[in-house]
Amino acid sequence: MDKKTSIMIVDDEEIIRESFLHWFEKLGHRVEAASSGLEALEKLEKSPLEVLFVDIKMPGMDGIELLGKVKEEYPETIVVIITAYGSIETAVKAMKMGATDYLLKPFKPEQLSLVLEKIAHQRKLISEYEYVKGRLDEITRFDNIIGQSPPMQKVFDLIPEVAQSDSSVLLVGETGTGKELVAKAIHAKSDRSHLPFIAINCGAIPDTLLESELFGHQKGAFTGATHPRKGFIEVVSGGTLFLDEIGEISPKMQIDLLRVLEEKKITRIGDRQPMDVDFRLISATRRDLEKEVTERLFREDFFYRINVITIHIPPLRRRKGDIPLLVHHFLQKYSHETIKRVDRVSRDTMELLKSYDWPGNVRELENAIERAVVLSKSRTLGKGDFAFLRTAPSHVTKPRSLRDMEKSYVQQILEDCDWNVTKASKILAINRVTLHKMIKRLNLKRP
Amino acid sequence: MTSKKTRIGLVPIGEVPQITSKSVAAHIIGYLDLDVDILPALDHPSYAHNRKRLQYDAGAILKAMESEPFHGHAKLIGVLDVDLYVPIFTHVFGEAKQGGRCALVSVHRLKKNTDGSSAPRSLQLERAAKVALHELGHLFDLHHCMDAKCLMHFSGDLVDLDKTPLYFCRYCSVFLGDALKKLAIVD
Repeated sequence: MDKKTSIMIVDDEEIIRESFLHWFEKLGHRVEAASSGLEALEKLEKSPLEVLFVDIKMPGMDGIELLGKVKEEYPETIVVIITAYGSIETAVKAMKMGATDYLLKPFKPEQLSLVLEKIAHQRKLISEYEYVKGRLDEITRFDNIIGQSPPMQKVFDLIPEVAQSDSSVLLVGETGTGKELVAKAIHAKSDRSHLPFIAINCGAIPDTLLESELFGHQKGAFTGATHPRKGFIEVVSGGTLFLDEIGEISPKMQIDLLRVLEEKKITRIGDRQPMDVDFRLISATRRDLEKEVTERLFREDFFYRINVITIHIPPLRRRKGDIPLLVHHFLQKYSHETIKRVDRVSRDTMELLKSYDWPGNVRELENAIERAVVLSKSRTLGKGDFAFLRTAPSHVTKPRSLRDMEKSYVQQILEDCDWNVTKASKILAINRVTLHKMIKRLNLKRP
Repeated sequence: MTSKKTRIGLVPIGEVPQITSKSVAAHIIGYLDLDVDILPALDHPSYAHNRKRLQYDAGAILKAMESEPFHGHAKLIGVLDVDLYVPIFTHVFGEAKQGGRCALVSVHRLKKNTDGSSAPRSLQLERAAKVALHELGHLFDLHHCMDAKCLMHFSGDLVDLDKTPLYFCRYCSVFLGDALKKLAIVD
């Protein structure tokens, strides 16, 4: 067994505990001792341990019962059963319940060495498995979309179907719902999976720069264009282009992209020679583009071109049943990244997390778990670790009446317009007289 | 503060052949470059006898040794010819508390071969020396070593013990050197 393994000896006989302690000290391990099953569980709650040597015959909770509880709560902890009164039945029972080995006291020193070698081998296999699993998760990403709720199952069902076609896909969902993960999953399941996947956040790039980023430019095309540069549409060649926040692009850019999608050709800025391109487009938006089309804020022809298939990604508050799964996933992720063993959330804390509405969706939940794991001093996250959620703007407030909603909305618009009734009435799409009546009826007052 | 050579006290417990004590002392002097004094023998440790196991409790003997005067010896090593045990193990060849002051070496199980025949005298002495140096290593806070070619590698049986060389690996040698220097300065 390698150095610095954390071990606990659970035995009601002090002499046995001491004997084990002295032995493991000689091996350089971190050793603790507990005289009962309850004490062992209390110690495990406070700090994680890798290996437990448990005596079967103890007053109160016996070794078999402790083994069951440990394997239920801390399945990764290795348990070796030790006893002075062995029977084949108990040995078989212990092994069936997940014990790694079974030692009869007193045992030959070399028997303990063999058990330690076996544990070292088991731990090596586990860590190798964890590493490979982590790498696979990174590669496929599909596994990172967590959810068992019916709305997410619909999304999961759609992904492989959509991936097989080459049609443009529009992902609609609030910020933080995992639109990019779904886009990556579609790419990973498609025939283009061995080719590039490029994601661009259209909302984060100014329009002029976006044009050059997408189409590329020739040398001297504009001030500062000292070298020719390939655009992302050229670079993605054969792969998938993911345009996030597509609703933010200008009407001019909508026309340019529409042409590219129809003709499958692009022309670098400053060049005259068009070149053929081949890519699959996946777009995403948090806005209601259909409404914007009817309001002529978004081009209808472009909308239908990018919207051959629509996938609606539900906000987290519509799939609260997935919160425990997500919480455990992020706990595992951040315990691993921060090398801190924080792997549980108390029951009342889970209820708190389920009652919160998560306006920032999965991203907000992930950030909250990361913050809690980094700052936590215990292995179990409690309500106190999420105290910051209570102060955050949320939807956890009591259900409000339509009148309350109307009042706060109108108040907000009036304040935004510095109580200029003409301006506010235009935004609210009502006439000034109606707004004046509304101010009186709702008892709104300028602060 | 001047550094001086660390002195080890070797205590025969009960009846132990003189040559065994002398051989163990010679190995400690030779391999660790320490001064060793062979001290007057202590009585047979009948107080540590366990009637159920028909063996002697190593922990009880160590405890009794701790109460003996040290007379300027940094560590005491007891040599005896009884079958030793610790509660979890069927037997031990020697025993020492990590970083402690006293250690034990039993020659009882070192006299036989695995097939039950008597081992040659030279091999018995070599085995006793290995166990003594290993236990002394623990007294100087050395842990068990992963390197099978090191005296600090754990030997559970005679086959393993015979395979163990009579020297420390280079890492354990460095740690041992550090511990000895520290002890010499403190003394």
